[in-house]
Amino acid sequence: MLIQLNQKQLKLQNELQEYFEGLITPALISELNQPEHFEGGGPEFKNAMRTMGSDGWIGLSWKKEFGGKELSPIEQYIFVETVMRTGFPFPFLTTESVGPMIAEHGSAWAKEEIATKILKGELIFGIGYSEPNSGTDLASLQTKAIRQTDGFLINGQKMWTSLANFSDYIWLATRTDFEAKNHKGISMFIVPTDDPGFSMSAINTLGDVRTNATFYDNIHVPETHLVGELNQGWSLITSQLNLERLALVNHGPVEELYKDVLKISQSTKINNDQYLSDLSWVKHNFAKVHSGIEALKLICWKQTWIMESGQLNMAEASVAKVYGSEFFIEAYRLLMEVMGELSILKNNSELTILNARLERMYRTASILTFGGGTNEVQRDIIAMAGLLMPRTR
Amino acid sequence: MDFSELSHQTEIRDSLDKILSKHCSQELLKRYDSNFKHDENLLFLLSSNGYLGLGLNEKYGGSGEDLYDLGILFERLGYHAAPLSLSGCLVDVAQTIQKFSNQESCNKILTSIIAGEIYTSAILEPSNQDPENPETTAKIEDDQLIITGTKYLSEITSIAKSILISASSNKGVLLILVDTDQVKLTELSSTANSPLFKVELDSVKVNKESIIHEQGRGLEALRYLIQLNMVMRSYIALGVTEKMTSLIAGYTSEREQFGRVIGTFQAVSHRAADCFIELECLRLVNQQASINLNTNLDCENDALISKIWAGDACHKISYSAQHLHGGMGVDKDYVLWRYCLLAKECELINGSASQNIDRLGVNITTNQ
Ligand SMILES: Cc1cc2nc3c(=O)[nH]c(=O)nc-3n(C[C@H](O)[C@H](O)[C@H](O)COP(=O)(O)OP(=O)(O)OC[C@H]3O[C@@H](n4cnc5c(N)ncnc54)[C@H](O)[C@@H]3O)c2cc1C
Repeated sequence: MLIQLNQKQLKLQNELQEYFEGLITPALISELNQPEHFEGGGPEFKNAMRTMGSDGWIGLSWKKEFGGKELSPIEQYIFVETVMRTGFPFPFLTTESVGPMIAEHGSAWAKEEIATKILKGELIFGIGYSEPNSGTDLASLQTKAIRQTDGFLINGQKMWTSLANFSDYIWLATRTDFEAKNHKGISMFIVPTDDPGFSMSAINTLGDVRTNATFYDNIHVPETHLVGELNQGWSLITSQLNLERLALVNHGPVEELYKDVLKISQSTKINNDQYLSDLSWVKHNFAKVHSGIEALKLICWKQTWIMESGQLNMAEASVAKVYGSEFFIEAYRLLMEVMGELSILKNNSELTILNARLERMYRTASILTFGGGTNEVQRDIIAMAGLLMPRTR
Repeated sequence: MDFSELSHQTEIRDSLDKILSKHCSQELLKRYDSNFKHDENLLFLLSSNGYLGLGLNEKYGGSGEDLYDLGILFERLGYHAAPLSLSGCLVDVAQTIQKFSNQESCNKILTSIIAGEIYTSAILEPSNQDPENPETTAKIEDDQLIITGTKYLSEITSIAKSILISASSNKGVLLILVDTDQVKLTELSSTANSPLFKVELDSVKVNKESIIHEQGRGLEALRYLIQLNMVMRSYIALGVTEKMTSLIAGYTSEREQFGRVIGTFQAVSHRAADCFIELECLRLVNQQASINLNTNLDCENDALISKIWAGDACHKISYSAQHLHGGMGVDKDYVLWRYCLLAKECELINGSASQNIDRLGVNITTNQ
C-alpha cells in the first residue's frame, strides 16, 4: 500500500500552482469579487480562459486523439484541487464533461466548431437538465424535440440553468421518444443561446449565485446539433457522473479555508495573554475539521485510484458524495463558531474577516446535498451496492 | 406540574400572529432585504396594542413581569421574520432596568419604552470572548465617568435615544446609559441584513447618575442581562426554526418526484421528524429558562442550555429545510432563505453552541 502522491503528480501540482499564480491577476480577482461575476463571465475571466486554452490547460480529461491531455483521474483531481484552491470559477462542466462528449459523439460540425473552441477556452455552456417538475427524477423531463424534415423543433422549459446568462450554448436534455420508458427517450442537443426562441429569467439564490429559468420556444436546430444517437442521451448524461461528483467534493477549498481560519485564530488576541486558538473548545473544533478533511482526502484519492484501475465501485463514489457534501456543512459551521459573531459580517462591512469567505460559503453549502444526485438516493445506492441490501421502495 | 400556557398567553400569541402576518408578507419583507431593516409602523402598532409592555410591571403600564410572555413576543417575531430588532431595547435595557434600577429610572425609561421610544445596548466587543469582562473602560473622576472602548453588534443604534454600555472600572463592572449622540456609530453589514452597529466611545464623559444600578451590583446586572439575552434570542431561534419546520411539512406534502409526494419517502419524513424533535427540545429548555429567570436573577446554566439548543436547532433545521426543499429552498422568490440567514444570526450572536458547551462544562465540573 502506498498513500501519497508520486513524483510526477507532485510535479504536476507544483506546475499548476505556479501557473495559476501567474494567471490570477489582481484585476481578475477584483472582477470575481463582484457578485455578478462570482461564477465568471466577465472580460477578465474570458481572457483567463483563452490564455488557459492556448497554454494547453483545457481538455485534461479529453482523449489525445481529440487534442486533449488524457490525464488520469488522480491527475484530474489534482487539477480540480489546485484550481478550486485559487477560487477561480473554472467551468469544469463545459470543458471536462460536455467538451469531451461533443468531441467524441458530436457531428462533424460540432467537432469542428464547438469542440475545438471549447479547447481554446472560447465557449461556455449552460447545463440544461433540470425542469420545474424534474429534479431528482431527471429522467421524467418533458422538454421536447420533435423531428422535422431538416432537423428538430425544440419546446419546453428548464429550471436552474446556471451560467445561461453568459453562456454561448445550452447542453440540452430533451425528450424525443414519448412512448419509450422515461430514460430511453432522451436526446442531447447543442442549443445556441442567441436563437430568438431562447429566453430566460434570473433566479437569485441564498448564496448570491445567480441561476436561471430558461425557455425554449419553437427553436429549430439542424440535425448536426444532435449529439450521440437519437434516444441515447441518458448514457451521455450519466457517463461522467462519478468524475463530476468527485469534483464537487474536492477537499482543496475546505482545507484552504481551515488553514486560513487557523492562522487568524492564532493571531487573534482575546485578552492580554491568550489567543483565540488557546481555548480548548476552539482546539476541539479545529481538530474535528482537520480529521474530517483527512478522511475526505483519502476517500477522494481512493476513488481516483479505483477509477484509474478501471474498477467500477458504485458505493464508493456515493460515499464520497454524501460524506463530502455533508462534511462541508459541518466544517463551515465549526469554523464559523471559532470566529464567532465576526463570521456573520459581510464583505462590504467593517471588521470582516477573510473577505467574508465563511459568510458566503455557509450560504452556498446546501446545494451539494440535493444537487449532483441527491444524498437520499446515494444512500440507497450505498445500501444496495455496498451492503448488498435489498432495494428500498 | 403543568405545561399548559395560561389563556392570556395563548391570546397574546394569536393576536400577535394576526398583526405580524399582515405586516410581514413576502412583498413587505422584500423592502428590507437591502434597506435599513426596521419597520417603524409595525413598532408603533406593537406599542399601541401594548406588546412592548410584555414582561414589564403593571405600574409602568406593562402587562406583568412574566418573562415567558416576553418570550412569546420574540418567538413570534422570529416566526414571521419581522423587520424589528428589539432584544437590545426590550431585554437588555428594559428588563435590566426593571430588576436593577431605582423607581425613578423605571418610571421614566420603562414607560417611554412601552410608548415606543427606542433604547438599545452595546455589550459585545470584537474578539472579546467573555462579555462579563468588558475591555471598555470607565474611569471614575469625581462625579463623572470617562468611557473608552469599542462595542459591536449593537441593534438599531442609529435611531436609539440612548445606549446601555458595559464597562470595567476600578469599582468593578458598570452598566451605563450613554446618549447616542456622544458615540461614533458605523453601520455593519451582516448576513441577515439586521441593523447592527459598531459603537466607538472615545473618552465619552457622562454623569455618575448614568449608572443604572446600585453600587456594587454591576456584575450581577450584567450577568442577568447576558443570560436573559441568550434566552430571548433562543426564543427568536424557536420561532425561526418552527417556521422552517412547518415549511418542510408543507412543501414535502405537495412536491412530487417519481410519481409520488416526496414526503412519502421515509428518508424525507424521518428527517422532518428529526426537526420536530429538535424543535420540541428547544421549546422546553426555553420555557424552563424563562420561568426560572422569573424568580432567580442568576440562572446561567439554564441560559446556556437554551442557547446551546438554539445553536444546534438553528443549524440542523436550516440545512434540513434547505435540503428537503431542493433548489426551491435557496430560491430568493420563495420564503425559506430569509429564515436560513436569521438562523445563522441566532446561532452565533451571544455565544455559539461549542463555546457555550465549553462554558457549561466548566460550570458543572467545578463549582456546582
Ligand atoms: C444554485 C443551483 C444551481 C443549479 N445549477 C443547475 C444547472 O446548471 N443545470 C441543471 O440542470 N440543474 C441545476 N440545478 C438543479 C439541481 O440539479 C436540482 O436542484 C436537483 O437535481 C434537485 O432537484 P429539485 O431541486 O427539483 O429537488 P427535488 O427533486 O424536488 O427534491 C426535493 C427533496 O426531495 C428529496 N427526494 C427526491 N427524490 C427522492 C427519493 N427518491 N428518495 C428520497 N428523497 C427524495 C430530495 O433529496 C430533496 O431533499 C441547480 C440548482 C441550484 C440550487
